[in-house]
Amino acid sequence: MDNRTTQPSSLIACLALYEIGSSTLFLLAAEAKQDAWIAMTMASAAGFVLLALYLAMHRMDPARDLFSLCRTYMGKWLGKAVGFAFFGYFAYEASRNLRDLVELTSQILLNDTPLFVIALLSVAVVSNTARYGGRILFLCSLVLFPFVIVGYLLLIFLLTGQHLIHAENLFPVLENGWRPVFRAAFPSLVSFPFGQTVLFLVFFPLVRTQNRNFTRTVYLTYAAVSIFLIAMNQLILFVLGQSIAERVTFPLLESVQLIEFSQVFERMDIFFVFVLFLGLGLKLAAFFTGAATGISQLTGIGYRKGVFGTGLLIYGLSFISPNYTHHIWLGKVVTYWFTIFQIVLPLLLFIAMKLDLGKRRPGHG
Amino acid sequence: MDGLDNGDLSSIVEELRCRLGGSSDFIVRLIQDERNRIDKYAVCYIDGLVDKSLLAFLLEAVVAEAREDAVHPSDLAASLASRVPVGALADAATEDSLVQAMLNGEVVIIGAGRSGGLSVAIPGGPSRSIEEPSSQTVVRGPKDGFTENLADNLSLVRRRLRTPDLRIEDRILGRYTRTKIAVVYIHGIVQPVILDELRRRLDKIDIDSILESGYIEELIQDTAWTPFPTIQNTERPDSVSAYLLEGHAAVLVDGTPFALLLPVTFFKFFLSSEDYYQRHDIASFVRMIRFFSFFVSLLLPSLYIAVTTFQQEMIPTTMLISLAAQREGIPLPALLEALLMELTFEVIREAGIRMPRVIGPAISIVGALVLGQAAVQAGLVSGAMVIIVSFTAIASFVIPALGMSAAIRLMRFLLMLLAGSFGLFGVLIGMIPLLLHLVALRSFGVPYLLPIAPLNWGNFKDLFFRMPWRVLKQRPAVIGSRNPRRQPKRNRHGEGNRT
Repeated sequence: MDNRTTQPSSLIACLALYEIGSSTLFLLAAEAKQDAWIAMTMASAAGFVLLALYLAMHRMDPARDLFSLCRTYMGKWLGKAVGFAFFGYFAYEASRNLRDLVELTSQILLNDTPLFVIALLSVAVVSNTARYGGRILFLCSLVLFPFVIVGYLLLIFLLTGQHLIHAENLFPVLENGWRPVFRAAFPSLVSFPFGQTVLFLVFFPLVRTQNRNFTRTVYLTYAAVSIFLIAMNQLILFVLGQSIAERVTFPLLESVQLIEFSQVFERMDIFFVFVLFLGLGLKLAAFFTGAATGISQLTGIGYRKGVFGTGLLIYGLSFISPNYTHHIWLGKVVTYWFTIFQIVLPLLLFIAMKLDLGKRRPGHG
Repeated sequence: MDGLDNGDLSSIVEELRCRLGGSSDFIVRLIQDERNRIDKYAVCYIDGLVDKSLLAFLLEAVVAEAREDAVHPSDLAASLASRVPVGALADAATEDSLVQAMLNGEVVIIGAGRSGGLSVAIPGGPSRSIEEPSSQTVVRGPKDGFTENLADNLSLVRRRLRTPDLRIEDRILGRYTRTKIAVVYIHGIVQPVILDELRRRLDKIDIDSILESGYIEELIQDTAWTPFPTIQNTERPDSVSAYLLEGHAAVLVDGTPFALLLPVTFFKFFLSSEDYYQRHDIASFVRMIRFFSFFVSLLLPSLYIAVTTFQQEMIPTTMLISLAAQREGIPLPALLEALLMELTFEVIREAGIRMPRVIGPAISIVGALVLGQAAVQAGLVSGAMVIIVSFTAIASFVIPALGMSAAIRLMRFLLMLLAGSFGLFGVLIGMIPLLLHLVALRSFGVPYLLPIAPLNWGNFKDLFFRMPWRVLKQRPAVIGSRNPRRQPKRNRHGEGNRT
């Protein structure tokens, strides 16, 4: 009975939810205006190359996760330093997600509850999730996956059914030339959300990835999710028009509010907040788990203690910004720096692995 | 330690009596040799544990033997074996084993001047006849249920599975109760891993008493720290047979009609054996109703509290007005109102189970009229709340397994508290740990949410829907994958009828 190893399907579900995660919360590629889809397509293609890089690294040494790879191929001290950098990156990403979740809750559901209370509850729930480790997180996303998909399908169905989609918002194509499109796509759109798959370098070793179909399935999932994200983003633009979409805090929820389902439900957006929560929470839990795995490996403390420490750190980090506007602004600043973790460091690690394995192979022969 | 000294019959009998502390149900019949007028045999048993009519046969045979046989053969068993007409015979060499044999419902025969004793198994005594199971009723399907008698229960299963592959392993547990336990499985279908694990866990049990299968359930389940049942129990022999055929193992315990079935997954608790006896489309519909009831039973009160306390903007205006009008003048917040009503219901429920049957109608009058209608009229609770609580209560009875609905009831209270404190957000932060707990839970190593997490498409044929039998050609994966075929692959409709 082979039920203790993780099936690829659960990792796939986790990857899909993770990529959807908080991305639909915001209007992506706002600078590109109605050409957001072009910018996103380019960014997702770049993300695809990155994913291929990560998978190639995984295939070179399938048994080790990111932190272990760093230590093995970059030397003890440098590897540890890079490992800590990744830990910091994951923890900070988690704290950003936490802040998003808290702000979303506070603005839509619990207007009067203090932020720190909501954050505390959320961190407790997510710590509990991370406590179970990656495998259970994957299985959990497998259960949640249909709910999220049905939620979005229902949304698309209702938006189309009520004639809220104004496809003419697509034109004119490339009104301001390629420049704004490029500026939107690189590097910020690559680093959020498409390049964030770097986290899965921590998770790939948990799964039976030897199956030849695995790589193909991951690519397919990534492609499907990218198309979905591009479509959702464009859908928001179609519904709200880019000038409104740019200005509101949560454009997706704004468009959901336009759905009239009176006599049964007013305010469909409250329902939809839960779909967003699932994606957001899962992404948060994934980053959390990645960070906790890292800290427990790097320092040698137990995983449970690592979870606790990471939880405290994330809770603290989520209050860096005094208000939501600052949080959003900071997010735009840091995405430039995140390319270090998504492109530069993995590339260095890849080169180190190539050199090392190249050295070893003749030795063996 | 004490091989029987057969010199003096009366001293052995006295010793046995002493062992049993002179209990009055210890019966000794001394049978004399006709010529010598000395005690030749002592027939000992415990009153009420042996079958009276068989005992008469047995005594007759022993008396006849005592009359005829002048020469004493050295072996008692050999001389009696041909004469005793009933029961399984066994030698008992020590006093301990004699006493134990009697306590198991055997009759012990000791011969003067012979080595050892002979035990004849003719267990009997009072037992309930086979009746319709009270906890799991069906409209269509067999009406026989297990009783407290292990041998009868085993025969009910054996009668349904007339295959040599049905295996029964006996063991005795409980230092005082010496309860007979039978592990039942179908050789060739059950997963050896599960069976070995079950044996290992049963071996570890060392407890003074097993009075009900619930003891065993708690002692062998994977973790005690979960409200969810990880072992199924049933009173229905047809249910046991169906589970055995899917690769589960069963544990039957003497003295209780409830058999244990394991391993079991979450979704099994929403299935009834009747699902397989009635048309598949009807059965599928009923299953959907059960899963719907699961969510109602778990979430309805907490959603109501959350929406009316925190997210009123979700309710359509007309309904909001009517709800607000009802709640006008109600002194309690929605959370307390709901908790009060739910607790009241729990009290009524418990009273309904524990009270003597005759008082039943009184409780329902008090419950329905006094607590329901009067509370609304007195303005203590709103009518909407009464509807919510009653519907929740009824929905919880739709779930076929009592253990599961009890777990849901427990969770419901926690979710209500969270909903009362944090609204819909509270419901969510209650549901997520619950989901994780279910995902992480295992029953004998089998993931609790099996066909969903981890994913197994094959098992979906018999999950939310019950596909027609023509389609259900395979046993459920993982648990039944050792012998996966139920029907041959190419068994088109009609082919079976022609042969």
